[in-house]
Amino acid sequence: MPLRARAAFAALATIATTALGGCGFGPGVGTSQVTLTVTRGFGEQQIGSTTAKHVPGSETVLRMLERSFTVHNRFGGGFVESINGLSGSGSRRDWFYYVNGVQAPQGAASTAVHKGDQIWWDLHDWTATDSVPAVVGSFPEPFVHGVGGKRLPTTLECGVDVPAACKRVTAALTTAKVPVSSQLLGTGSGPDSLGVVVGTWSDLAPEVAASLIAHGPSASGVYARFTGPGGHSLQVLDPQGAVTRTLGAGSGLVAATADSSSKPTWLITGTDVAGVSAAARALTPGALHDHFALAVQGSSELPVPSQGAL
Amino acid sequence: MSYRRRVSPLHAARAGAACAYCLALAIAALTLSNPLTLGAVTVAVGAAALGAGVGHEVRRAALLGLPLAASIVLVNALVTRDGLTVIFRLGDLPLLGHTDITLEATTSGAVLGLRALTLILCGALYTTAVDPDQVLRLFRRVSFRSALTATLATRMVPVLIRDAGRLADAQRCRAGRPPSRVALMRAATSGVLDRALDVAAALEVRGYGVAHRPPRWRQPYGRHDLEFAASAVAVVALAAGARVGALAPFQAYPSLHAPVGGSVLAASIGLLACALLPFADRQGIER
Repeated sequence: MPLRARAAFAALATIATTALGGCGFGPGVGTSQVTLTVTRGFGEQQIGSTTAKHVPGSETVLRMLERSFTVHNRFGGGFVESINGLSGSGSRRDWFYYVNGVQAPQGAASTAVHKGDQIWWDLHDWTATDSVPAVVGSFPEPFVHGVGGKRLPTTLECGVDVPAACKRVTAALTTAKVPVSSQLLGTGSGPDSLGVVVGTWSDLAPEVAASLIAHGPSASGVYARFTGPGGHSLQVLDPQGAVTRTLGAGSGLVAATADSSSKPTWLITGTDVAGVSAAARALTPGALHDHFALAVQGSSELPVPSQGAL
Repeated sequence: MSYRRRVSPLHAARAGAACAYCLALAIAALTLSNPLTLGAVTVAVGAAALGAGVGHEVRRAALLGLPLAASIVLVNALVTRDGLTVIFRLGDLPLLGHTDITLEATTSGAVLGLRALTLILCGALYTTAVDPDQVLRLFRRVSFRSALTATLATRMVPVLIRDAGRLADAQRCRAGRPPSRVALMRAATSGVLDRALDVAAALEVRGYGVAHRPPRWRQPYGRHDLEFAASAVAVVALAAGARVGALAPFQAYPSLHAPVGGSVLAASIGLLACALLPFADRQGIER
């Protein structure tokens, strides 16, 4: 093959490889309906919120943040240091972000924005744990738009003694147009499905997600734990991991967690049947809005982690 | 590239003034970030080189500096994750991960590259237009031995360059295969060491080791000294004023902000005028 022909072939091969590899001029095709929320103190105080009807192509979580807020970052955009002048430098506080209620596994500059995403930045204390794998404050996400732009199947597992709560959870998901497949408690949702488990703590204790919560915030990212025989009381923790309130019978918990290899599992649980019913009633966007997890007792709701003292 | 006395206002100025002039241009390059004002500093350095008759040497330095400037632009565009305006998508790359080239990162890299190039040009202008012996004389009273060492070092560089030229000539005249680079390196190194021993022996014989602090060297100020000193002060003042007063603003991230308004144009023209006016006075330098 002559030299010129070889050069032309190499150039064509390079162009083809480049095009197939997702390269191209300009930002590419955009997306829509992305919500960005910035809070501090585990969602306790909202700093700002915006919804973009149209988002340019190649948008990342960091770019989206920079369009609406004053951001200072380090390492060439790899680490957000401050938003609107609020910085965690010097103390055990930093900015963390969640897309559709799921902690992103990579930097904000590398995380692409997809249609319908709910992005949540929160400045919080990481004394007890620097990893909160999943939060409930973006409900009905991640069930509607999924994780990383990919919608995931949702499985629902219910305990035998909580049919009313199970029915209410199914209704809440159906209202959000989330198709749900029911299965026996203990079956497991698998690594590529979103799981929802409903039941009393004593029934859910063998579940992987429940055992993570039992090991505390450092394992699960959930600042609450059930104690006593059969989990008859619910302890709510503060950001440092100390107990601030202990709720007795009739208390429930809505929380989400995940291990390193699977998608999040949501737990709708309680000390008893009444507690599970209370937790199921709290499964609404309004009640869960901007909360990492939610403890309920009767009609009163307590954001988790709790910022107040005993 | 080395100093050679030429017929120019900059060469006619004393070393202190010429040194301050080159330093002022470098300070302006480091202080200003607006592409227009930074470009004005670059043009000023190039025009000063032409005015000083060292355009050819400074052009060679620019050709050497261009690849460095280009690499700065490239690296900044590839590595920096900041910037809102995506101009090219590279997808997922090994080591770099997901990479988008943004207008802001590219422009910021271009400013950094232009600044590096301007500093190289300032260095080239200094090397070719400021008498190193006079510069060393300035510092002789501060530290005699350091000045002597620096003088010897700067004197040895042209000698070694000439040695290298002679070796290259001899290599070309030799029949058969050329010698290996190691052999050439060995010959050059032994030559350098021989020369160093000779110089040390000469210094010892002449009694430089017991020399005392020399007396102050007084030279009356000339018109070119004053003009280049005033130019240096004006350039630094203008650059500092533009920086402090935000006359030539530039912000690369998150979105590009580099206005080309009246204040930016005025600052650029002012810098050019302050830097180049001393070259208009050629009185007393023509042969």
